[in-house]
Amino acid sequence: MNTSALRLVQLQNPLGNLLSPALASQIHTSSPLCRVVSGKYRITKKRDRPLTYEMANPPHYIAHRKSWNSWNTSNLKDGLRRSETAVEDEFIRRFMTGTWHGLVCSEVIIKRQFNHIRVAAIIRRAVSPTKMYFLLGYTEELLANWLQCPVTLEIQTVDSFQDVVFKYI
Amino acid sequence: MSIFIKYYKSGGLNVAFSNKIWRYNSTSADMAINKGEEEEEFRVLDILKKRQRQQRRVNRRADVQPDRADRMPTDQNWGNVWPGPKTFHPSSVPLPLRQGYVPKGQAPPGKKANAELMKIPNFLHLTPPVIKAQCEAIKQFCTEWPKLLNSEEAIENHYPVEIITSDYCHASPSIRNPLARIVTLRVKLSTLKLDQHARDKFIRLVGERYDPETDLVTITADRCPIRKQNQDYVNYLLTACYHESWNFEEWEREKMEEDMEYYNWDKNPSKRSLVNWYLKTQNQSKELSDEEYSNYDVSQIPNGEEYKVAVSSYMNDGESEGTVEKYGEAVRKLLGLPQKKVVS
Repeated sequence: MNTSALRLVQLQNPLGNLLSPALASQIHTSSPLCRVVSGKYRITKKRDRPLTYEMANPPHYIAHRKSWNSWNTSNLKDGLRRSETAVEDEFIRRFMTGTWHGLVCSEVIIKRQFNHIRVAAIIRRAVSPTKMYFLLGYTEELLANWLQCPVTLEIQTVDSFQDVVFKYI
Repeated sequence: MSIFIKYYKSGGLNVAFSNKIWRYNSTSADMAINKGEEEEEFRVLDILKKRQRQQRRVNRRADVQPDRADRMPTDQNWGNVWPGPKTFHPSSVPLPLRQGYVPKGQAPPGKKANAELMKIPNFLHLTPPVIKAQCEAIKQFCTEWPKLLNSEEAIENHYPVEIITSDYCHASPSIRNPLARIVTLRVKLSTLKLDQHARDKFIRLVGERYDPETDLVTITADRCPIRKQNQDYVNYLLTACYHESWNFEEWEREKMEEDMEYYNWDKNPSKRSLVNWYLKTQNQSKELSDEEYSNYDVSQIPNGEEYKVAVSSYMNDGESEGTVEKYGEAVRKLLGLPQKKVVS
């Protein structure tokens, strides 16, 4: 519905033909609900949904009660490689959660210093240390090969997911 | 005849094995013969497979080492514990840290399993003793500062031309930044060897790049892709402007008083009337040519210099309370009138 409204506007606009598709698509058409709902968790009836500190604070508390998960200079004003950095970060996150399957208890934190990428996460001690060492080297090696820059994995281990639970709602 | 083998052993490990044997027996045994001969033990149908599940649940938790932070001596060298930049790790930092927002009355989350502490960049590798040690280590690569360049004035005197460039450092695999190509050259106009004509021409050539308040000429170049090229271009521009300003073209003679960009008191009727008035007060009547008027030495006239400065600043700096007041004072002095009385 929103897009059709946009098309109508374009038709009425005498300059509509001059607008390139790239320009036109920049008009924000998704519903404004996203501000209210995204990044927030519903309270359950039994009040037994575990939340980490990260999940307990909705997105508008970033820089007030919690900090960013990606630290780099690309998201500053006039930063270089903005889109590349965002895509790479998303790729690292997915690769981490998939490789350390069911073990990652927190958000994956990605910090960049020069061409060095530091990936930090809280990991459950559910697999043997030997396997963990293997996964560590495996992740570092593969990510370093794909991203063509040194990658360091800095993990902290906890006994169980219970350790990172901040509150239940 | 068949043989019954009862295979019992305490412990769950052999349950599967014995089951197998029982199955074997039950299929191979001749039921008719056995009937009534012996009390047969029936297999237990374990629907929920409780035994196996218990067996699977092995507590494999390797005993976790105690924290390194608990065993640290108080007089250790912290630089060896945390040698480089690293994400925060609770077991190697012997500090009772807490971070996080909690409602009033509660304690913030501790350092263990705290993702917030891992996010923020820490400077645990840059403690003052470590910085001191590193500075000591790189001291051998430093050269002494030249003794003659001991003040800002001396530096300005020996190196009048300033080249300003920016280096950018960012968190991405590329070390290039297009903004690094921009080169700015700054030089004080008074340090260039220019006469009045050349100075005037130079200011006209550089246009708005000259700031009369600070006397600085600023030339910026960003048209070439590389810093070296821009730097060469900036130097070329300064050299070209300098030599061009020394050239005197034939058409420059046609410059009239109306073309002057500033008020030159020596060539204006104001001086002529001052000189005429002075000559009259001295009871001299001379006919002077234009050349003689403009070359007339004003310092002969009492308070003449002050009048010249006042009129020039009034015409050049624009009419304001200060310039008008100054002009008034100069005229009173020149004509020997009493000073303006300040009403208190």
